Amino acid sequence: MQLLCAIERSRAVSATTSVTARRRNAPWAALVPMALTVLVAYLGTTLWSLRVSLTSSRTFPNDDFVGLAQYQRLFENERWILALQNLAVYGVLFILACMVVGFLLAVFIDQKVRGEGALRTIFLYPYAMSFVATGLVWQWVLNPGDGMQRAFRQMGWESFTFEWIIEQDRVIYTVVIAAVWQASGLVMALMLAGLRGIDEDIWKATRIDGIPPWRVYVSIVLPMLKSTVATVFVLLSTGVVKVFDSVVAMTQGGPGTASDVPAKFIMDHLFGRANIALASAGSIVLLLMVIALVLPLMIARNKTSGGGGHA
Amino acid sequence: MKAARIGVYAFLIFAALFFLAPLYIMVVTSLKTMEEIRLGNLFALPQGLNFDAWRAAWSEACTGVSCEGVRGGFWNSVLIVVPSTLLPILIGAVNGYALSFWRPRGANVLFAALMLGAFIPVQVMVYPLVKVLAAVGLFSSLSGIVAIHIIFSMPVMTLLFRNYYAAIPMELFNAARIDGGGFWRIFAQLMLPMSTPIVIVAAIMQITGVWNDYILGLVFAGRDNLPMTVQLNNVINTTTGERLYNVNMAATILTSLVPLLVYFVSGRWFVRGIAAGAVKG
Amino acid sequence: MSLKKLCAVAIAAAIPLSIPAIANAQGAKAEVIHWWTSGGESAAVKTLADAYRSAGGIWVDTAVALGEQARSVAINRIVGGNPSTAAQFNTSKQFLDLVEQGMLNPIDEVALRDGWDKFLPETIINAVKVKGHYYAAPVNIHMPAWIWTSKAAFKQAGIAAEPRTMDELFAALDKLKAAGLVPLAHGGQSWQDNIVFTAVLTNVGGRDLYLKVLRDRDAKAIQSEAFKSVLLTFKRLQGYVDKGSPGRNWNDATAMLIAGKAGVQFMGDWAKGEFALAHKEAGRDYGCIAGFGPAAPYIIQGDVLVFPKTSNAEQIKAQKLLATVVTAPATQVAFSAKKGSIPIRTDVDSSKMDICAQQGIAIMKDKTRQLGNGEIYLNPDQNGALSDILTNYWNRNIPVEKVQRDIAAALRN
Repeated sequence: MQLLCAIERSRAVSATTSVTARRRNAPWAALVPMALTVLVAYLGTTLWSLRVSLTSSRTFPNDDFVGLAQYQRLFENERWILALQNLAVYGVLFILACMVVGFLLAVFIDQKVRGEGALRTIFLYPYAMSFVATGLVWQWVLNPGDGMQRAFRQMGWESFTFEWIIEQDRVIYTVVIAAVWQASGLVMALMLAGLRGIDEDIWKATRIDGIPPWRVYVSIVLPMLKSTVATVFVLLSTGVVKVFDSVVAMTQGGPGTASDVPAKFIMDHLFGRANIALASAGSIVLLLMVIALVLPLMIARNKTSGGGGHA
Repeated sequence: MKAARIGVYAFLIFAALFFLAPLYIMVVTSLKTMEEIRLGNLFALPQGLNFDAWRAAWSEACTGVSCEGVRGGFWNSVLIVVPSTLLPILIGAVNGYALSFWRPRGANVLFAALMLGAFIPVQVMVYPLVKVLAAVGLFSSLSGIVAIHIIFSMPVMTLLFRNYYAAIPMELFNAARIDGGGFWRIFAQLMLPMSTPIVIVAAIMQITGVWNDYILGLVFAGRDNLPMTVQLNNVINTTTGERLYNVNMAATILTSLVPLLVYFVSGRWFVRGIAAGAVKG
Repeated sequence: MSLKKLCAVAIAAAIPLSIPAIANAQGAKAEVIHWWTSGGESAAVKTLADAYRSAGGIWVDTAVALGEQARSVAINRIVGGNPSTAAQFNTSKQFLDLVEQGMLNPIDEVALRDGWDKFLPETIINAVKVKGHYYAAPVNIHMPAWIWTSKAAFKQAGIAAEPRTMDELFAALDKLKAAGLVPLAHGGQSWQDNIVFTAVLTNVGGRDLYLKVLRDRDAKAIQSEAFKSVLLTFKRLQGYVDKGSPGRNWNDATAMLIAGKAGVQFMGDWAKGEFALAHKEAGRDYGCIAGFGPAAPYIIQGDVLVFPKTSNAEQIKAQKLLATVVTAPATQVAFSAKKGSIPIRTDVDSSKMDICAQQGIAIMKDKTRQLGNGEIYLNPDQNGALSDILTNYWNRNIPVEKVQRDIAAALRN
């Protein structure tokens, strides 16, 4: 059967060689919007940012050249260094927590529970809401004086203390909490769908074999969800690098500058401080860091899965 | 197995409480008067059911010289969201299809560059894009903001469709080619009909993203097309003005009703959608 | 809308002018980008819109919350070739780059005709006049460093009289603490920390030190003992705020005063809006202190309207009309009464304004007490860098000498 198909295939291919030339252009034509977007919008603005980061531009770009002075200033800036550290901590915790929480929620919902529709909406609604208001609510909840701490103490748990939001070293964790609240619903939905795509027969087989459920999930299900996990990871990563709204809404980068993140540093200098050169330097550094982290992963993935598409 | 069932429900209920807590506070705050709010009892129930804040948020809150609440931007948001959902999905689908099956040379490099673009904070790209749009005459217009949304959503949309099509057997595609199908024929007649699940997923993500977008709509849409989020921000945000928290909460909930409705209605599709192998390996 | 219809509407709505009329100003459509979005601010900007309409113009409102956003929208519109007629900026160096790039229309004609040099405070003239041309129409004067006191809290703590010196203030704070109240209500956001610093610099450092540090950026002054003492006093105040202070909105801090839970707040005169909303009256429920001593400087900050460059004759007419209307005495009083600020000119009838505003206007008559806010002397980048250092000093334990060195370095360029 294989051989016959192969012969058929090669015959068909040679029969279509004459029109292949015309048809070969179709994919390229179809990708023109993408090419334009990448070249003009993304590559173009990145090159522009790079050029501006080598100048002394304030509100508007100017044409001079100051070499790497802005980059030097960037790395002498305590606030920027702290922002990068915060990003690393935030990134790891956020992605880990979202994946775990999202996965757990998906697994538990998948257990044929009653009220699944309601539960799904409950976990998804934070994603629909503007963080400007929800961030403020989180700030209120975590406020030592008026929020959760006071509520628990009034209920009788006198020694309950949760003052992370005012502590210089811990405030970034509070941003993680609020961000996980907002994003894990989406992760749950994506994971749930992946789970639902797994054949019933596999479950039946594992039950017959007597494998404990948790083992099934870890050794069999998770590997099958590899692609889902990869997509989720990419989506969450873009969110991490660009994190801004949650920080502004919850802590305004404070106390002081303790919960500052690179995107906020860049934004402040882009608009409020009228220093687009420094802001551009910051965004180029951020992009370089992303490339440094992501590129090896992409190349590795390309090699193993044969290009991510079809072999 | 009973203990396990109880464990499952316990976990879910506990998680639900965590997720619902902020919503509870928002609703409760929106039903209080400012005097009550100033007293600072976050979790306390309102003393009376005061719907003034809701009415104000919809039609009376001040957003500048006009005090007409957030309702003004509703239709603008709709006008922006519809094309900004349909077009990016279509383009993402074509991109994913071309990348996954046809794989022209160098397209993967283009895709990698596109994905890197997804990591750039949006505001950094605003200034050069303003100049580009102005050069082609699209700045401050509905077409302009739709073009911007297409640009910024392309990475995620392309990623979704590319990974979805990667799960569809190559044999199906080859068979169609042998049958004499060209690029567009195969796309329209074979791939698109099979894409319903992922289209629903993409629609949900895109509708949420565009409906809640603030900065892009603010800069690129032009004064007459400003989305609801601009009014929402005008109601909520102020530097030196008074803050009416009850109105702010009501306004936020009102503005989020559209995405919530979309989730609710298509919730089934969403899960069943990806279930059909959208994100499968 | 056709020009004919515009004119018809304008004529129908026009009321006899008490402002010098500009020929053919009827129907002059002006789109104004601003960030006056809250209830009180909306009432204030309505007075401008009404005055403009009375003068025959048509006000097209484009409100964008938060100053940074609004200014960035204004700038992007200019860059994109679709500028508004006018845009709100602060009395500061924010629009200098726009002037440098030739993106603003000067309004010399209005300034010279109305004699701005005669009644505007020198600080404001220096901010709006660049290289001999007037580029901004001042709208109001805000004072960011008022000291507000809660009469109820003071009564509870047994404080008889309002403090008249910094030492008396600390004594009052101690009494408030002893009474179990929050001595200093503060919202821990960097701009609010900056306000506390401004208040301490003026009241403890004095006018000369203030100018040497912020205007002249004199490194010797920054490293001096006098400035060190200012910083130490600033840090000492931090000991009187409650735990929940970081990140708190200023309104919530004022709410603490309103509820009698806290005694003192450093905040600008816009705080009167919050008090008014809660039906509190100046003098009866709360006190306002402009500064300690008869020579205490009065800090000037404010809003201005700038006019993006255009060669469209209609737009230019609208811009001139706006500049005229906005600086007119009647408009000034109406606007400031709603906004909580004081007018840019002292030759107005301030009898109907609240006692704090009247106090401010009286002080403004003394030219030696006029002092500009940090953003008038420093460019946005320097101001921001200073702000970062101050807010970190407020929140962390940093040796004061390091703070002095950092400030000197930040303000050097």
